Amino acid sequence: MWKFLLPVAAFVALAVLFAFGLNPNRDIHALPSPLIGKSAPLFNLTDVMDPARVVSNAALRGQVYMLNVWGTWCYACRQEHEALLDIARQHVLPIVGLDYMDQREKAQQWLTQLGNPYSAVAFDTDGRTAIDWGVYGAPETFLVDGQGRVIYKFISPMTPEVWQHDFLPRIEAARRSGA
Amino acid sequence: MKEAVAARAAFSALLATLLAAVLGAVLAASSTPVHAQAPRAVDDYGQLQDPALQARFEHITVQLRCLVCQNESIADSNVELASDLRRQVREMLVAGQSDDAIFKFMTDRYGEFVRFNPPLETKTLFIWGAPFVMLLLGVLIVYRIVRQRSRMPLDDEPAPGSM
Repeated sequence: MWKFLLPVAAFVALAVLFAFGLNPNRDIHALPSPLIGKSAPLFNLTDVMDPARVVSNAALRGQVYMLNVWGTWCYACRQEHEALLDIARQHVLPIVGLDYMDQREKAQQWLTQLGNPYSAVAFDTDGRTAIDWGVYGAPETFLVDGQGRVIYKFISPMTPEVWQHDFLPRIEAARRSGA
Repeated sequence: MKEAVAARAAFSALLATLLAAVLGAVLAASSTPVHAQAPRAVDDYGQLQDPALQARFEHITVQLRCLVCQNESIADSNVELASDLRRQVREMLVAGQSDDAIFKFMTDRYGEFVRFNPPLETKTLFIWGAPFVMLLLGVLIVYRIVRQRSRMPLDDEPAPGSM
């Protein structure tokens, strides 16, 4: 009995391991964020468009908002830009930008040429805010509820499908629960 | 007469000492830079001035994963994020933070995956324990095979009971 059962069990275990490990849809670079469920790190940075203006997420307390990390050096950010503009036109929630590892002039040019989906764009001069948020690339998009807790993180370019399936239900749920 | 000579010798000795002191002070003053700076914690090459801190810095950074290039440590990687994280580690060391506090800072933001050397706890028991379980399994299998074979007759030996 054991002679038969053991190899079969070993085979099944290996098959399961491979099915998980070799799944082509699994993005090995998308890591779970330890920030989910915790309060969003606060930042006080200057606005990309107007260095005299301060962008702070403490002021957004009480409303659900999205934080989108991007940079002009990031090709995938250009890909998702149209989707962000589309989301902004729906006026569902404020989109705050975090311009990461970038130059202010380039970022200004980008926003003027491609359109600006953001209610404000914070300029992360030295990458410290990005470290606080556990950012390791761009684009990354966070969802923060009214109590200032991070409820979701998406690593990859935003698309209308992702917005529909991953973001909208979570935004509605957060609003329903009064958060 | 003798007393006068002794007094003169004592006086000249005193004078020499005073002169030497003044000369020493002048030399010392001229060797210090005019615009003195506070001692820097890090030199131009990013090395911490305190060798003990630099040793801890090297020990910590090889254990932190660069999340951009995943199989490199932040000590090895040239990516901008790695250099930002090295700066963070340096600053925390200079501020007198413990190694544990630095690792906690990183895992709070990037998760356990950032550590190449995860601490032994209930949820990491499997990854730490698996090699030993595998070894035990191997020993068991070898033991069984050896025992089985030792019960088998050798090729040039007549099987028991065949004669």
